[in-house]
Amino acid sequence: MSVANALFYLLAALTVVAAAGVVLLRNPIANVLSLLFAFFCLATIYLLAGFQFLAATQILVYAGAIMVLFLFVIMLLNLAPGPKAPKLEEVGLPMFLRRKSGVTVVIAAALLLLGASAILGTQSTGVEAAGAMPREGIDAIRPTPGTNDGLAAEMFGRYLLPFEAVSMLLLATAVAVVVLAKRNRPGDRSA
Amino acid sequence: MNDFAAKVGLTGEQLEHLLAILVRNTVILIGIISVAAVMTLVERKVSAWMQFRHGPNRVGPWGLLQPLADGVKFIFKEVVVPNGANKALYVLAPALAAVPAMMTIAVIPFANDVVLFGKNWGPLVVADIDIGILYLLAIGSMSVYGVILAGWASNSKYSLLGGLRASAQMISYELSMILAILAVVAMAGSINLREIVESQAHGGSIADWNFWKQPLACFLLLVASFAETNRHPFDFAECEPELVAGFNTEYSAMKWAIFFIGEYSAMAVMSSLSVILFFGGWSIPFLPDAPWYLGFAAFLAKTSVYLFLFVWVRWTLPRFRFDQLMRIGWKVMLPLALVNLLATGAWLTFFGPPGAP
Repeated sequence: MSVANALFYLLAALTVVAAAGVVLLRNPIANVLSLLFAFFCLATIYLLAGFQFLAATQILVYAGAIMVLFLFVIMLLNLAPGPKAPKLEEVGLPMFLRRKSGVTVVIAAALLLLGASAILGTQSTGVEAAGAMPREGIDAIRPTPGTNDGLAAEMFGRYLLPFEAVSMLLLATAVAVVVLAKRNRPGDRSA
Repeated sequence: MNDFAAKVGLTGEQLEHLLAILVRNTVILIGIISVAAVMTLVERKVSAWMQFRHGPNRVGPWGLLQPLADGVKFIFKEVVVPNGANKALYVLAPALAAVPAMMTIAVIPFANDVVLFGKNWGPLVVADIDIGILYLLAIGSMSVYGVILAGWASNSKYSLLGGLRASAQMISYELSMILAILAVVAMAGSINLREIVESQAHGGSIADWNFWKQPLACFLLLVASFAETNRHPFDFAECEPELVAGFNTEYSAMKWAIFFIGEYSAMAVMSSLSVILFFGGWSIPFLPDAPWYLGFAAFLAKTSVYLFLFVWVRWTLPRFRFDQLMRIGWKVMLPLALVNLLATGAWLTFFGPPGAP
């Protein structure tokens, strides 16, 4: 096992632990910091895989801007720690057996299956799919250094239309959120 | 030396290379911390000069040893942790504020290829990476966590308000800063800082500096760097008349000092970045083939001018109001930066990159 591979497994484990902390910790600030740590581990994994640009963007956008806003809102509202988490045996099995949770379980299982099949599918086809983990580990997908030009050419060449479509989708989402979150005041007929 | 190299299983060449890296990185790290120390003295001396006072002049000749005395004082002061503070975050916050500034220094190219003892050791930079500017912006954007967590963990309303202001301000101005930098990046065609310097250095003339091509971006970056480093006229995070001392109200001793080491390091990094982007980095006008140490000196001189500008502005301009700060950030700086980027893009599309036939 190469050093890069060992580091990858360490970082992957840390990411999972941090992600679990986001859900399980009670203090909202600790949740945010946990998520921040998970982002950093992810960025390091991108770096290991040779995607420098992606790693920097991950930190710049998610850790540097979005999580700061999360922290900002939590501090502004001065949220108290949430209620004490129930024990695992109280949530584990009953959660899946409850009547209304059936749809959620089916959707979650379908998503998990989809993700797993995507990863397994790329493993069998080899190293072409960027981002997926081939059998030889993280070493095999590392591109040659200096891929900024390549990334730009792909993004603004072959994938220009999907790229713009995604940005339109994000814009539409932002508008939708504003419309949904806007409070209807009496006498206000614009909404 | 070759015997030792053989013992640890390396060739002489590799050991030499390792040692060179170790020496270079240590020098740069100690250098940035010393800059922070010297800047505290410069700040006090310049403010005294501008206010017709003497300033510190008791310790050493002309008060030159004042930073050392301050350092000793900070170490021996009592560390106070306020009641009800989140202790772990309270202790962690100063480190979070100072470390990003020191990490970003890694991509700053101080000089061209260093030639010492008849050997070329490569450019004087810790990490000559392709995503230089992105790395600098990404790690630099982390410094807001130190401020905001210090404000929250102190369990004090003044600190909290300071932290909230700092986070709002730093996010707002980061956008204009990135857009201003982007215009230069588009012209240079690279986000590697060393290549950006070289794109201005090859002609050996002062006209190659990006400042003449992007004066607006240079000004926007200057204003944004005042806001990003929480300096006057935008120092709302600490704003004494309103918030006692803002996010660092509850801090004492070395923890308090570390915030200032962070602030001055960030100032040094922002000054270096501006010099690299707009004033040709280590290049010296009319001397395209100057040896590396002259280039290094030129870089330090240009950066010092920028650092002086920071101090100058602090002691001459009054503070804005917070709503004014936000209005300038979103309604003036951001549109200007966008228009500047658009104009640069249009210019590059119709007339081609500078230097191209």
